[in-house]
Amino acid sequence: MTALSIEALQFSFADADKVVNDFHLQAESGEIICLLGASGCGKTTVLNLIAGLLKPSGGKIQLSTRKSAAETGIDVGYIFQNDALFPWRTVEGNLLLASDLNPILSKAQALDKMGQYLDVFHLSKSVLKKFPSQLSGGMRQRVSIIQTLMFEPELILLDEPFSALDYYTKLSLEEEFCQLVRSQGKTAILVTHDIEEAVAMADRAYIMNGGKLEREFVIRAPHQEESRSTATNEARGSSVFAEHYRLIWKELKQVVGSKD
Amino acid sequence: MNMAGRDESELNLNSPWVKILYPLPFLLFLLVWHLCTGNDPQKQFIFSSPEKVWQALLRLIESGELWTNSLVTISEALAGFLLGTTIGAVLGLALWYSRLVAQISRPYITALSAVPIFALSPIIISWFGIEITSKIMLAFLSTVCMALVQSYMGAMSVEKRYLKLMQVVGAKRSQTFRLVVVPSSLIWVLNAMKINIGLALMGAFIGEFISSEHGLGCMIVKASALYDMATVFVGIFALIVIALVFTFIIEKLENRLMVWKKL
Repeated sequence: MTALSIEALQFSFADADKVVNDFHLQAESGEIICLLGASGCGKTTVLNLIAGLLKPSGGKIQLSTRKSAAETGIDVGYIFQNDALFPWRTVEGNLLLASDLNPILSKAQALDKMGQYLDVFHLSKSVLKKFPSQLSGGMRQRVSIIQTLMFEPELILLDEPFSALDYYTKLSLEEEFCQLVRSQGKTAILVTHDIEEAVAMADRAYIMNGGKLEREFVIRAPHQEESRSTATNEARGSSVFAEHYRLIWKELKQVVGSKD
Repeated sequence: MNMAGRDESELNLNSPWVKILYPLPFLLFLLVWHLCTGNDPQKQFIFSSPEKVWQALLRLIESGELWTNSLVTISEALAGFLLGTTIGAVLGLALWYSRLVAQISRPYITALSAVPIFALSPIIISWFGIEITSKIMLAFLSTVCMALVQSYMGAMSVEKRYLKLMQVVGAKRSQTFRLVVVPSSLIWVLNAMKINIGLALMGAFIGEFISSEHGLGCMIVKASALYDMATVFVGIFALIVIALVFTFIIEKLENRLMVWKKL
């Protein structure tokens, strides 16, 4: 099922050249899509347009999973590079933001859901009483992901969420996140500069240039259930993984080189 | 490695030894004062002396004059402080709602902040009389702008990522205000409160200084007219003690409200 459909999307900041130009993208439920490209090519702007933080100057963004007012969740969740946890609230307070904003979601329901996500992301309950400043970078990003998931978004946008983490934390978070997205049939769009991360996580990766998608790489085809269910980190050493990495790097080098 | 930096970081600022050091500058000041004035009656007439001030303090405590006057000044300053800080903070935070209103208000706020409270005092006294109301009004006017400006700056410096998050999750503007803008600006409001203690006391003092029958300002004016410098110094020290106690209370409040900041 198509979860997100973007057609001829356009955007430019006042009096500037088009940052996003004739951008087309279709994303299926349960799919992880990755956007790669040089800095300033419009990756984050696309995420901001999908999230509704910017208003497109042309084109169409359609979410097939748009929720009604009677439902508890939101349509789009956004995980930023630097988490947006409120420092004045405990972890529990931050995670209960969803029930604070939505009267339909009771506190009991929210606490129940919170417990489940803490298990998924290997966080103990003792973390709930801590303030964000007392957590490590990896724990903060885990809490930040749970905070977004508490809103039950069908589409999750990620803007380099793991770039500031140490290598091992990054690997385990990527794996936990992929398993969760695929098992719950959610859709994710990830912006990254890290080709390895893209190959490890994405079903499809795109190189963006001049505000549009320039090249597509199918890393895990929808019918390849085996490769999609394989634990992300187990695939890293494989020759297929290395081949995807090589192809993307080759293309990216050309795009970045032609820009310079 | 910076050895000086390491030594400084190894110093435990909460140790009892550091606490013992607190009164040292004050004791040094008293010693220098005592040595300079000595037993010279002429110098003591102009500068008074620690001994004379101590005697005046005991006399004023015994007569109840110090307590009565302090209580009047505290009441005026406290009422003005609470009114000014509350109204200023509410208005300053509320300006977050409308950039247009904030933009238009800016020159007025700057103009009001620039007017010396001393210049306003004759007007306020002629409008509100020489009783307590005029002193409260002066304390209020001394504090309201500071609270307003600080709170507005606090509201406008909320980190963009928090606002972005609230926008993405579909929060209403009132929810963003309540859950993000207010708690995020609290540190600014508390800073305004700390500055306003001195300003409120100054406002009340100026009112008493110009025209009043009670209060520390009145006590100081009367004493200085009689060249009773010891009583003037007692009045000044009383004002300092009141400011320190208020500051201490606000710091306790800050520690309670900003637990997360101290971690």
